[in-house]
Formats: sequence, C-alpha cells, structure tokens
Amino acid sequence: MNALRAGLLLTGVFVAAGLLSLVWTPHDVTQVDIGARLLAPSAAHPFGTDHLGRDLLSMIQAGAAVSLSVSLLGVGAALLLGVPLGLLAAARGGWVDEALMRTGDLVFAFPWLMLAILLAATLGPGASNAVLAIAILNIPVFARLTRGEARRLWQLDFVAVARLAGKGKARISAEHILPNLSGPLSVQATIQFSLALLAEAGLSYVGLGVQPPAPSWGRMLADAQTLIGTAPWLAIAPGLAILLAVFGLTLIGDGLARHLRRGEGA
Amino acid sequence: MRLLRHCLLTLLVLLLPLAVQAASRDTLRVGLQLEPPNLDPTSGAATATDDVVYATIFEGLTRIAADGTIRPLLASGWTLSDDGRSYLFDLRPGVHFHDGSVLTAEDVVFSLTRAIGPTSTNAQMQALRAITQITATGPLQVRIDLAERDSAFLTLLSLGDAVIVSRATADALATSPVGTGPFRFAGWRRGDAVTLERFDGYWGRPARLSRLVFRFIADPNGAYAAMRAGDLDLFPDFPAPEVLGQLAADPRLKLAITPSEGEVILAINQRQGPLADSRVRRAIALSIDRQAIIDGSMYGYGTPIGSHFPPHSPDYIDLTGLTPHGPAAARRLLAEAGYGRGLDLTLKLPPPAYARRGGEIVAAQLAAVGIRARIVNVEWSAWLDEVYKRHDFDLTIVSHAEPFDYAIYGRQDYYFGYESPAYRALLTDLKAAPDAAARHRILGDLQRRLVDDAVNGFLYQFPHLGVQDRALTDLWVNSPNQVVDYAAAHYGAGDAAGAGPSSAAAGDGWGIWLLWGALVLLLGAAIIGFGPSYVLARLSVLAGTLLGATLVIFALVQVVPGDPATVMMGLNASPEAIENLHRELGLTGSIPARYLDWVGGLLRGDFGISYTYRVPVADLIGERLSLSLPLALLSVLLSVMIGLPAGYLAAVRQGGWLDGVLSWIMRVGIAVPGFWLAILLVLGFALGLGWFAAGGFPGWAAGPGPALSALTLPILALALPQAAILARVARGALIETMHKDFVRTARAKGLSRAQAIRRHALPNALGPVLTVLGLQVPFLLAGGAIVENVFSLPGLGRLVLQAIAQRDLIVVQSVVVLLVGFTVFASLLVDMAYALVDPRLRDGRAA
Repeated sequence: MNALRAGLLLTGVFVAAGLLSLVWTPHDVTQVDIGARLLAPSAAHPFGTDHLGRDLLSMIQAGAAVSLSVSLLGVGAALLLGVPLGLLAAARGGWVDEALMRTGDLVFAFPWLMLAILLAATLGPGASNAVLAIAILNIPVFARLTRGEARRLWQLDFVAVARLAGKGKARISAEHILPNLSGPLSVQATIQFSLALLAEAGLSYVGLGVQPPAPSWGRMLADAQTLIGTAPWLAIAPGLAILLAVFGLTLIGDGLARHLRRGEGA
Repeated sequence: MRLLRHCLLTLLVLLLPLAVQAASRDTLRVGLQLEPPNLDPTSGAATATDDVVYATIFEGLTRIAADGTIRPLLASGWTLSDDGRSYLFDLRPGVHFHDGSVLTAEDVVFSLTRAIGPTSTNAQMQALRAITQITATGPLQVRIDLAERDSAFLTLLSLGDAVIVSRATADALATSPVGTGPFRFAGWRRGDAVTLERFDGYWGRPARLSRLVFRFIADPNGAYAAMRAGDLDLFPDFPAPEVLGQLAADPRLKLAITPSEGEVILAINQRQGPLADSRVRRAIALSIDRQAIIDGSMYGYGTPIGSHFPPHSPDYIDLTGLTPHGPAAARRLLAEAGYGRGLDLTLKLPPPAYARRGGEIVAAQLAAVGIRARIVNVEWSAWLDEVYKRHDFDLTIVSHAEPFDYAIYGRQDYYFGYESPAYRALLTDLKAAPDAAARHRILGDLQRRLVDDAVNGFLYQFPHLGVQDRALTDLWVNSPNQVVDYAAAHYGAGDAAGAGPSSAAAGDGWGIWLLWGALVLLLGAAIIGFGPSYVLARLSVLAGTLLGATLVIFALVQVVPGDPATVMMGLNASPEAIENLHRELGLTGSIPARYLDWVGGLLRGDFGISYTYRVPVADLIGERLSLSLPLALLSVLLSVMIGLPAGYLAAVRQGGWLDGVLSWIMRVGIAVPGFWLAILLVLGFALGLGWFAAGGFPGWAAGPGPALSALTLPILALALPQAAILARVARGALIETMHKDFVRTARAKGLSRAQAIRRHALPNALGPVLTVLGLQVPFLLAGGAIVENVFSLPGLGRLVLQAIAQRDLIVVQSVVVLLVGFTVFASLLVDMAYALVDPRLRDGRAA
C-alpha cells in the first residue's frame, strides 16, 4: 500500500472516531465511577479505565475530536491569514515585503513553547488559546512559503501576459498566482497540521490546552504518568493515539509531495 | 558501514553509565514538592521556606510540642503579668548564631521590632502588631507588652515568622540564612536542592546527621521515580497517593502517614447570587459524598470532616452527620430555593492533584443533583489573583494548611465572603477565654456555627503522606506546627538502602561568560572571513529582531494577570507588607521607565534581580545553562550521529528495502511526542531495568560520570525525534542533489553511485541539514522544558515554566530574550556556514 493511501486510511479512522464521539461513545466520558477505576483492558473496556473509572477508549475517541479540531482550526486560521499576507508581500515588494518578512522572523525567533506559555499565562489556559497559539506560530510559515512561490511565479510569462492584459496586482494574485500554489500549500498544511497535533498534545500535557472534563490526549498522558507502574495501559494508549494520528498526517504529506513531484516531472 | 559503526561505538562510550559512588549514611536527602522562593522565614509567607529552614536553621522563643502545648526553646522560661498583657522572657544562655555571635536580648528586640516595623514584609505583621513595646530588661531578659490579653500569643511566637535573627545578618537572610538552629546553611542550587550541614556550636543536643539535602520535585512521577531509585531517603509530603501502595511494597521503604493541619474544603463564594442563599449552599454540602472524594482523589488516605477543624485535635467534634450524603434532600432544597431546574456554576481548581482530581469528582456529584459546575483549572498565581484576591469564582477546592485557621472565618472580606457577627463574637470570646474548659466549649461552638451557616463544603483532613527509608529512625513529624524535626533523625543499624550520588551544592556561573567569549571569537572570525560590511548588515538585522523581541515580551508580560508580590507573600499577607515588597522589587515605576531600565540593564549584561530568589537573574541563567547547554549540545551531537548516517544510508539505497525500512522509522520518529518517549524511557530503563536514575541532576561537581549518567535518558528523549527529522531532511536533500546535472556528470564519468554521492552530492546537500541543525540548539534549549519536567532536571526551560507560575516576570523576560538571541544568532551562524560551503553565496552577499 502506498504512503498516501495508508495515511488517508489512518487519518480517516481518527476523523471518523472523532466525529462519531460527538453523537456516540461506548461509555460516557464524564461518568466518574470510582468502583471501576484502573481496570486493565477487557472486553467491556478494550483500553481499560483511568483513575476516575472512565473508559479509556471513549476518552481517546472524544480526545480525537478535541485534538483534531484544535489543530485544524489553528492551522486553518493560519492559512487564511498567512496566504494573503504572503501574496501581498510578493505582489507589493519593497517595504511591505520587508516589514512582513521581518515580523515573520520575529515570530520564528521565539521558541514555540515559550510563546504558547506566555499566551496561556496572559489569556488563561483553554482550547481557544491553544488554537490562537498554533495559529500565530503558523502564520509566518504559510506567509513565507506563499511569498517565495509567488515571487517565482511573478517572473513567469503567463503572469506577464496577464499584466499586459491590464489586470491589477490583486486580481493576478487571486486568479493566476493562488491556483498555482495549491500543491505546495497543501503539502505544507498537512505537515503543519501534524506538527500542530504534537504541539496541542504538549500544551495539554503541561495543562495549557483544553480543560477538563473534556478529554485530551496530552492530559491523559500527564494523568497517567504516576500510575505507569500499576496501570501502564494508561500511558500507552493515548501516546499511541498521538503517534498514529501524527504518523497518518505525515504519510499524507509525503504522499502529496511525491504526487506533486511526479506531476512536475511529467 | 564503517562510519555507522564508529558512530555507534562513540555513542556507547559517551553514554556508558559510570559507577555511582555511595553517599555516606549520615546524609539525609529529603524530597519536597515546592522550592522555597527565599530562605528568610520572616519575610513572605511561603510554607516552603519553613519546610526547609524552620527548626533546622532558625528557632524562635517558643515551640509547639506534638500534644499542642507550648514549650520553651530559645526562651528558657517566662512569666505573665496578672492582667495578661506583659510577658517577661528569660533567654537561654550560651546560644550561638551560626556566624559565631552570641544570642542576647538585643537580638530578640531587634527581630520582633523588625517584624512589625514600617518596612516589614512579615506575613504575620498584623498579628504581631499586638505588641506595643519590647524592652531588653537585662542581657538575657526581654519584656514584651501587648495591647490586650491574647491567649494565642505564645503560639504566634512559635511560628517561623517570629524566629530570632541577628542584626548583622538580617539583610541577607533570603540567600544566606543565619540562625541558631542545629543545622547551618551550606548551599543552594536553584531549581534543584538546598544543602544544610550540622552546626557544631549548637546549644542543645547536636544533630546526629551531618548533612541535610532538600531536593525539590513537584512532579509526582519524578517523586515516585526518585524514591524508587533510592535518590531520596524521605518524602514527608508525597505528591501522589496513588502509588503509595507500590512504594510500601518496596522492601527498602516504609510509609509514615500522619494527620496534617490541612482541611480540604469546597469553598463557596457566598457574596451574591444563588450562593448567598444558605439553602443552596446546604444543598451543595449535601450533594457531596466525602468518602467517594477521598477514595477517588486520595486513594483512601484522608479523614472526613464536618466542619473546619482537624479531627486529631482534642477540641474536635465530629459534625459529619449534620451534612450526610443526600442527593434527594439536596434536590429538595434547591427546588425550595427556586433552582429546581438546576444551576450553572464555575469551579476553579488550583494545580495540586487533590484539587484537580477532587474537582472532577465533585463536579460529577454536583451534576447528580442538577448543579452544572464548569471546571476551570488555574495556576497558583492565577488562583491567588482571581479567586483569593478578586473573588471571581463560584466554587473552588483548596487545602487550608495553617494550624488554628478557624480564625479565617472571622476575617473581613475573606475570599469566600462569609460575614457573620455571631462568629466574630465567638472569636473575641475565645481570645479572652480564662481556661482550657472555656476554650474547648467555644471551639465547639465555632465548629457548629460554620455547619449551621453552611459556609463551605467541608471535605476531609489532608494527611501527611510520608514515605521514608526503612532504616531512618527518630524522625519526629511535628503537628500542629507543620514541622519535621530532623535534629534527632538518624539511620538505624542494619539493612541500609543503597544510596545514589549526593547532591553537590556549588552552583557555577561560568556558562554565561563562556558564551560571551565564544560570541566575540565567532564575530572576529566572521569579520576576517566575510568582511565587515556583510557582518554589519547581518548584525543590524539581529539587533532589530532582538529589539522587537524585547518589546513583544515586555508588552506580553505586562498584561499577565497576577501580581508577583501577592504570589510571594501568600494567603496571610497584609496589604502593607505587599506594598513594601512592591517597593523592594522596583515594581512601582511607570511602564516605559521600567522597560528602559530593563533594556538598559540587558545591554550592560545586567539581567536584573529575580523577584522570588532575590539573586541576579544572570546567575540563575548561568546555573541553568551549565545543565541545559550541555544537554542541548549532546542531544544535537547524538541526533547528528544517528540522523546523518541514517539519512545517508537511505539516500544511497534509495528505493531499496533499507530505504523503505529507514523511511518508515523516520516517519514514526517524527510522530513520537518527546515527552511520551521520555515517560517510556523512564519506565523501561529507570524503573524497569534500573540502569539510570529516573530523574534529578547531581551537578557537574559530582564528576562527569554521575552527571552524564543522569543526562543519558533526557538526551535520548530529546535526540531521537530530532534524529528522525535530521535523517529525513538529509535523505531528501541528498536525493535532490543527486538529480542535479553535476552529479549526473560525475556518474557519467564512471563514478559509482555511492562515490558520486560522497564526493559531489554530500557537500552540496549540507545546506538544508545545517538549517535544521542551527534551529535545533535553541529549540532544545527551550523546548526541552517538558522533557526536563519529566526528569525533574534544573534546566533553563523549567526555570521559565517555574518563573511564570511564580510570576517571577523579570526571569521570564530575560530568559525568553536570551533564547530569542540564541535563535537569531544560530541562524546567523547557519548563514555563514552556508557561505563557507558555497562560496558563490558569500561573494553575492558580501558585494
């Protein structure tokens, strides 16, 4: 099986599980049942139960919805803001370009965890601030990529033809530049999506992501840490979930990139 | 293949855990959850300070015995005047301070006068101001006059806030404490450990241990691992009740569970709205199943309480029967109050596990009667600001750890907003109580009053969850004064447990100077190599980014809610003491002035003074860099040693099975969360095989062997994901260059594929690899924070996490700027390296 198909399948499983959790999970994820805590994996609880007696499978399923949507929203917002900024920088050049790229450098110069922690300390922890942190960190990524590709395209003949036809810079950016960016942008977006999943897990792990009782993979790992000696399944399943979700997206990214190269080569 | 073998061999030698020398058995290594912000118990209210210095370094005039009675300490005795307003204390003769000076009446007058003075930052200042006059009536005799009779005054003198210090050393107590106790201060490695040594000139029976090391491990996992690995001998308040069973099963360890003074309550903000209605509050109390909370969050450790009073006190009365678990009754009360359709409330939870876990159970129990409690997890600093100070909450769970703290219910505008003239009248009666029987009766009334008014949900009495080495004996856990008495502790003969390396106290600040030196050298080389104009242009970009960064960081930090002074002074501080601290910290100037001050200082190499530790931030950073920089560099080294050969192999065999296998491994490596890898490594190699310590850092002074051994697992956890990234980038870059014309030409000349790669593609593919490498060092310096947490290493990243939690904002500002500087500087290095690899680039830019 090739990478793209494997990746799509894997990611599809997580997306489906997450969507399903909105209407149905095997057990109620907010149901605290002390009597049933720390049960080893069994038929009733395939992944076991946690320290409050909640079903781990259900929590991982609901956690998929949380992790995927936080990452998707963050990266999506970054795309929506970063791409126009990149197009603007490429079209205008000069001081606009310089100012935008220097601002991007500034964001890049910050260690991502520090920036996220500062944001969380300022605005309070929570899902929306995790989205914000991911978006801020990703805007310059897309802006830079867009600008680089767009500048290359601006040199090409078909753009020159469009300019001769009297089209304005904004219109050329929208009609001729942007459509040609979809390939590299979709590859980059997939990669950033996978990195955002890791970042979201890290933020929830240090308690800055989505807040309980909403389940999240990172926090499940934090909760599991001290119990790893008695209940190792608590640390295995959420960690594997993160790994597989990121892995799936990496595969998609690889597959898309190969597809793109093949297209260019042809 | 030879390259790979070399790499692996070097790796093995580097990471080989060297034999750890055993510590002698007269050192006691104590684990504490919280590091004290400073070591002066007379300024600020951090109980963490008392945990380390009270009764070890410092002593007061009196002390509380285990049975709750007041005993003499530095005062050998006292008499009370008939009106109960004047004490005459006789001081013990022959008491020496650790600096050699002799304790006199002057020292007592000085200490108490200082505590109540206008610039005092003493947390008990308000209570101590009951003193109207202190007079030395002889070289060893002091008279203290009070404004009115106060039956709790001798208890007040037994607190850490009222210890006796000498005038000569008073100003430096925060960093080099000098007292009269059985141990003297030996060293403090911030973020890691405080070391005390036996004081040979002690007036009383000398301590039997020669050395006390307090190590600070907040993370339950780190605490567990340290106990299991034998890195600690005692953890008086173990943070994770869930693993006590496993620890008890360890033949080297035993549990020591004793009652504490901490009442865990579900505090209710009863100022307005539905919660001002006592029926609603009673409904909340009735909806609580105490035993379920104790079982669920404390794994059964804890005693249910019905009011705000410790069950081990002789004055306790069991009132749990007045608010039994009754969801039906709770629903009826809610309906009666007009909330039959339910109620929406916020439940703010501070960080400790008892609150976070207990909160989830309480929320579930409240939901069962129709109260929808929205959980908001907050840091301590945010809790102090939002809940304690601004009263912006409905419900919260917190442990009130101070002894005799029923008095908080008489305070004006206290955080839960209970205002009862009747309760205050009872407190006044208590103060004037003529005898023990009257006190007993009034204390009973106080307890009942709180239940009648349904003030808060009273959950359970928090236990001291002590874990200790089986051989350790004569350790006296004092209650009600929250003190562990180490003076008589020693190891019994017999099955002494194997000990790990002992912590060294010396911190060194060479890291930062090394850094500056390297910077200057590099710039010099750059100017010679690339010409001044190129370097100048790059430097101006660097300076611009740094300036922008200072502005962004400073602006962000200004809007971080939570006041550092409030965080430092804790729950009992008076507004005046907080104001004094503001002045001390320089937090009173205007915002632009403070910014200019800070940036000006940065330019001079002065990073400011840490709010919490009261030492120069540069020293703190230097100390942490001496761990974080080697950690980051070794991780990069390892990732290069694994990543480059792997990427090379995959590229050479592109499309082959080896490439396939390696590519899949790389993808998995990229997808692994570093902290999860860290947890798995601890599970496998520290807890399972026992090859490495599970956490902590003995310091470079302990020798390279133990230090590298402690860093092995963290290096692996940091390096492996980076190695995967590097390998992927290297593979991609190599394959790309292989399709370039010059490589094709080389092959056409008759070179083998491998030869062509080595001679032509490799040098040209270094660019992207260098870019990744350049970003790795700063990334690992900062992003290692989470991994540092797993291994409880005192590194730079953890310094920032800790500083944010404590609102030590000057440290946050300076470290983040430093990290930004690292990043920018690293990208400059990468650019210059690019230019070296590809001279065309240099000529283009330098022109």
